[in-house]
Amino acid sequence: MDIQEKLKILADSAKYDVSCSSSGSNRKHKSGGIGSTAVSGICHSWTDDGRCISLLKILYTNDCVYDCAYCVNRITNDIPRASFTPKEVADLTINFYKRNYIEGLFLSSAITRNPDHTMEGLTEVVRILREDYRFNGYIHLKGIPGADELLIAKAGLYVDRMSVNIELPSSEGLKLLAPQKKKENILKPMGLINRKIIQTIDEKKQFKKVSSFVPAGQSTQLIVGATADHDYKILQLTEGLYHKFNLKRVYYSAYVPVVQHPKLPEMINPPTIREHRLYQADWLLRFYGFSAEELLTEAQPNFDHELDPKITWALRNIHLFPIEINRADYEMLLRIPGIGVKSAQRIIAARKLAPISYDGLKKIGVVLKRTKFFVTCQGKYYGGIDVKEGLIRQSLLYKPVKRSTPSWQSHQLSFFTDLMPYNHN
Amino acid sequence: MKTIYLYDGSFEGLLTAIYQSYYLKDKPDKIITEKIFQPNLLDQTYTIETDLEKSEKVYESIYRKISHKALRNVYHVYLSEEEEAATIIYQYLRLGWKIGASIESNLLDDRVMAVDKICLKVKKEKHWMLGLVRFQQLVGDFYYAVIEPKYNITGLISPHFLDRMGELNWMIHDKKRELASVCLDRQWVITDLDSNFSPQLDQSEKIYQSLWKEYFANLSIKERHNPKLQRKNMPAYYWNNLIEKQKDER
Repeated sequence: MDIQEKLKILADSAKYDVSCSSSGSNRKHKSGGIGSTAVSGICHSWTDDGRCISLLKILYTNDCVYDCAYCVNRITNDIPRASFTPKEVADLTINFYKRNYIEGLFLSSAITRNPDHTMEGLTEVVRILREDYRFNGYIHLKGIPGADELLIAKAGLYVDRMSVNIELPSSEGLKLLAPQKKKENILKPMGLINRKIIQTIDEKKQFKKVSSFVPAGQSTQLIVGATADHDYKILQLTEGLYHKFNLKRVYYSAYVPVVQHPKLPEMINPPTIREHRLYQADWLLRFYGFSAEELLTEAQPNFDHELDPKITWALRNIHLFPIEINRADYEMLLRIPGIGVKSAQRIIAARKLAPISYDGLKKIGVVLKRTKFFVTCQGKYYGGIDVKEGLIRQSLLYKPVKRSTPSWQSHQLSFFTDLMPYNHN
Repeated sequence: MKTIYLYDGSFEGLLTAIYQSYYLKDKPDKIITEKIFQPNLLDQTYTIETDLEKSEKVYESIYRKISHKALRNVYHVYLSEEEEAATIIYQYLRLGWKIGASIESNLLDDRVMAVDKICLKVKKEKHWMLGLVRFQQLVGDFYYAVIEPKYNITGLISPHFLDRMGELNWMIHDKKRELASVCLDRQWVITDLDSNFSPQLDQSEKIYQSLWKEYFANLSIKERHNPKLQRKNMPAYYWNNLIEKQKDER
């Protein structure tokens, strides 16, 4: 089989892995080698589905011994199979890298023969890249659950980021859809990687020369919508992963119905809105000081599809609002809908010089159509309606009819548009 | 009647113009390049002779009396090549020399906002181009890329590629401005280069281009097809020089 054919099969199988980030490492060029990493990450292209390409994201092989119901590569699925040799992957990476197509490599794999054998192959690829080709760009490697700890520890010395996929948000889900995967086998390498990272950081404080270990940290991915788990459970799991394993990122992948299986839910489109809400909530956990309990409850375990998690939180806690923009501390500013990390910092900087007016907020870049309902500027409220949950909800949901429709049509519609916001409740 | 300073389009020329305005205790309404100037009977125009010594003085005074960040901002605005760029810089610097480094936190001032807005656009394109530059291998192990950016960012992206692939010899050719950044033996310079320049590709080049296209096509998830999002993230303006966006010749 030629390289082009292999690439076709193994890129196709890898595309459901969502992580593409090349951030978190900042490494300058090393003499005699090629490559560097940028701390903010760099995107190199965007595919027709709008997702970014930063790394060469491929599988080492799709020849799998497991039979996970949700996965295209399961053993019982009738698809073409292919495997790279370690050198083929390394050559592709280097040649794509020199042409500036990519920031580096994201290598994952199906389980071929057994976890140890698979992990050995992956480690050999990154060894060739780092040692033989002196490749200094970004490498993200999948840790294979169930592989020997020594193998994972060895691979960690070569790569920037490692990830072990959680796959499904609950043990019951795993039992049902991925019977050969066990929660313990997934969490064990995660714990190992985390311990090694912490240990390396400690050693670096004491000794001058310590090889780095997974300097860009570890991440994981889970599939949303293949099991009955609700958002609250997923978000609590995420929170636990961030606290317990110091993960850099948790990725969510809307389940794409690639295979039919009696145990899988029937659906036509991937639940992308749900995925989007989870990412928004994930950001709220990491950068905005929220906790999972604040965003969802047992009684309300799923996110509102119409409104984002921060607005939903604000509406539930409407007694805290409106907030005076010139007095609120940074933590509180971050909790106001329409204000992000950048705007909050700019508000703090700007109000040192002079009080901020409503007009000033606009200049700062705050999203006023959301923010105006939740703040006062120099004591004055610009929302135009009472600070009541129901009223604000209606105003936020109201979407005026687009003017692109022919005038006769918009006339006809105008009768309904007045009623529109009420329909949503 | 408006007072208009005309300069030659170089950064030094612009700084000389600013020097002159201070020296003559004059307040020009506009500073623009000779190239785009359209004469108007009512305007009073002065043509500024670029003077390296004078421009050096202004340059130093910016980072000494205002800040390094202000200097960087001003340079980014200059590289935007927008018509009002020079005037915006002039007004920003006047404020800067009055209030010093605190200009950075003066976010709500219109003069500062004008600079920030253009800076952001230039920096955004710079970051974009770090990813969108596509090198092609030429005979003799030389790597060549064509770009046509909106702003003059070739000099801004070159240090990144020097660090990343300084062991290779490469060239980034801005065909729109007919200039190129050339890196040989770990050193880079900017030079003029005709837009007709089209060197000979290495034999292996087509193979990797077709592998890259194959990869690009197979990575998209059909169930999530979203061309609008693709265009938002990667404006069609840049597609001309992207290998993966070229139709196959086969």
